[in-house]
Amino acid sequence: MTDSSSIRARFRERGFIIDDGFATVLQITLALEKPLLIEGPAGVGKTESAKVLADVLDTRLIRLQCYEGLDAMAALYEWNYPRQMLHARLSEAGSLTLEQREAEIFSERFLLKRPLLKAITQDRAPVLLIDEVDRADEAFEAFLLEVLAEWQVSIPELGTIQARHKPHVIVTSNRARELSDALRRRCLFLWLPYPSLRQEIEILHARVPGLSDRLAQQIAEIVQGLRGLSLQKAPGVAESLDWAMALMSLHCDHLDAHTIEQTLGCVLKVHEDSEVVAAHHAAMQFTQVESRDFGLGSVSTPGA
Amino acid sequence: MYPFGGILSNLVAFGDFLRSEYGFKTGPGELLDAAQVLDIVDLADESAVRNALRSALSKTSDDAGVFDQAFSRFFFPGPPGLQQPERESLHRAMGNQPDQAEKRVQNECPGAAEQTEEEAGQDAPGASIAPVATEQPEVAPAVLARAGYSPLEAEALVESPRVGPVAPAWRNAARLLVKRLHWGLLRRWRPATTGPRFDLRRTLRASLQTGGEAITARWLRRPRRSPRFVLVIDGSRSMGPYAQTALDFAIAIASVTMRVEVFVFSTDLQCITKDVQRAAAGEMRNLHPLQHAWAGGTTIGRCLRDFNDRFGSRMTSRETVLIIVSDGLDVGEPDVLRRAMSALHGKSAIVVWLNPLIETPGYEPTAAGMRTALPYITTFFAVNDVAGVKRLSHSVHLRR
Repeated sequence: MTDSSSIRARFRERGFIIDDGFATVLQITLALEKPLLIEGPAGVGKTESAKVLADVLDTRLIRLQCYEGLDAMAALYEWNYPRQMLHARLSEAGSLTLEQREAEIFSERFLLKRPLLKAITQDRAPVLLIDEVDRADEAFEAFLLEVLAEWQVSIPELGTIQARHKPHVIVTSNRARELSDALRRRCLFLWLPYPSLRQEIEILHARVPGLSDRLAQQIAEIVQGLRGLSLQKAPGVAESLDWAMALMSLHCDHLDAHTIEQTLGCVLKVHEDSEVVAAHHAAMQFTQVESRDFGLGSVSTPGA
Repeated sequence: MYPFGGILSNLVAFGDFLRSEYGFKTGPGELLDAAQVLDIVDLADESAVRNALRSALSKTSDDAGVFDQAFSRFFFPGPPGLQQPERESLHRAMGNQPDQAEKRVQNECPGAAEQTEEEAGQDAPGASIAPVATEQPEVAPAVLARAGYSPLEAEALVESPRVGPVAPAWRNAARLLVKRLHWGLLRRWRPATTGPRFDLRRTLRASLQTGGEAITARWLRRPRRSPRFVLVIDGSRSMGPYAQTALDFAIAIASVTMRVEVFVFSTDLQCITKDVQRAAAGEMRNLHPLQHAWAGGTTIGRCLRDFNDRFGSRMTSRETVLIIVSDGLDVGEPDVLRRAMSALHGKSAIVVWLNPLIETPGYEPTAAGMRTALPYITTFFAVNDVAGVKRLSHSVHLRR
């Protein structure tokens, strides 16, 4: 699990195709124990890569989904105060001294661990996925920096909890706002673009078993073409997989203009985009696909 | 082939190169990472080294985008086996960094000292060779070309606009505007001194100070839902001094809310949020080099389309107040502008267009660009001074 080719192979076994660059970065991330910041367009597998990494390392995935207004309490820990209160009432009659009762109430039994605290109290280093960090506000980012740097959490009533094992941290961002330089500096950075044609065909084969070479080629080509148009919501890998599955379930072994028209909803999610594509229909993509389809028959995987 | 001898000195020089030529923010921390990274990957594998260094040294997608070019320029300055005239020019490009770089390396890692000394000896003759014409970054010719338009303009072009903290009056006016623009309350509850809901948890915590008796009650309230401001400022020549006012307005807003993004455009679009936020925090600074985004012609339609394509889906939502500051003197195609405005109008809560010309007596929005954009504008206004911001805050409404 130390060199990039074996990481690549392990990911491939789990149906997640990564290129050399990604594998090298993962290798470094694991070796340096630094957080990895992944940015890229929606639907290229940022979140999925963390899940697969957890699977590859055979460890737990702990996910912190960021949202606006996420505060330290929801990310770190919270006291289970209804339970504390109940306990205080019930133990009133007991013979314990005030100090003992207090210590009992503020013990780990009454602590609700939220993702960050959970991540540092595991027996094995987990994969901590901090998803869509750009949705949280700047204040939370600053708080995150502190945790990511020290790997310890101070709880006034319990003391400081030091990480048993440093989690492998993957931070994803959709660039809804620019992240602070400070956060960027602490992370290794990876820009995850849309896959190349060859990679996309590989991904389609890996994820949709039984997909014919020709269909995979056609889907990948069309989706790549669509990404070149100026669409409001360009299709990601998830969309091309959806499309492949839809076509499989319709028992299509190749694409023609009619099938495309019927199933394009799997790929284009905005009405205006369908109009843009329709405008390009005659001129560009689809005539090409059709002529290639009927001219070449089954197309083998090309070197892209 | 490489500019320097040892691996660490090369790395330090590469860091300098990235910083000076490509505007990377490479500090000692990054270099340390890079050095560790080189320990992990196979040094004989060029693509592995490239990938590894990219992840350690680049921190934004822009960095990652130019990294490959920088890597090739630095480590493979020409076809292998040929003379490398650029080697000297590279040194110069870094402001004669080799000496500094090597000194630093010597200080940091005594083991490398021998190598670097040897290398310094080799480099010494190279430094005296007459300057070789080097490749300028691509932007330079365009800037020069535009500078040639008028000698007076050239003066203005040498420096990007200077920004700094704004007067308290600006901040107060901006605060008024931000305060007025909000949609009811958020759905979540926040601790507060007074509020409609009792906070049992905090009250219990507070009771520790009063011996377990809950004397001070704590409350929760729902904060206001404030919008995100996106300012798109026209920095073209025709805007002249108004562009600076628009920047002040942006800085004023940035100093009262964090939820702001600022762009400038002329014939190209550029994000200056970071600069504006740092200016709002009290730093006097020149804007990051604005290439085609300042003091050029105006293609509003293309730039807004560009904004929509690159940032539209991420930065505009139903909670976005889009503020466009422009005189509407567009030289592009009206149709492009119409489509861009229509898309932005659909995506954001309101579109405020600030046109400095409105206050000119007898002004009618009849310029082609302005006429095209007008149907998609919620509020059409002029902000030329602090009073303008105050007036704006009274006339802008969130609900259409």
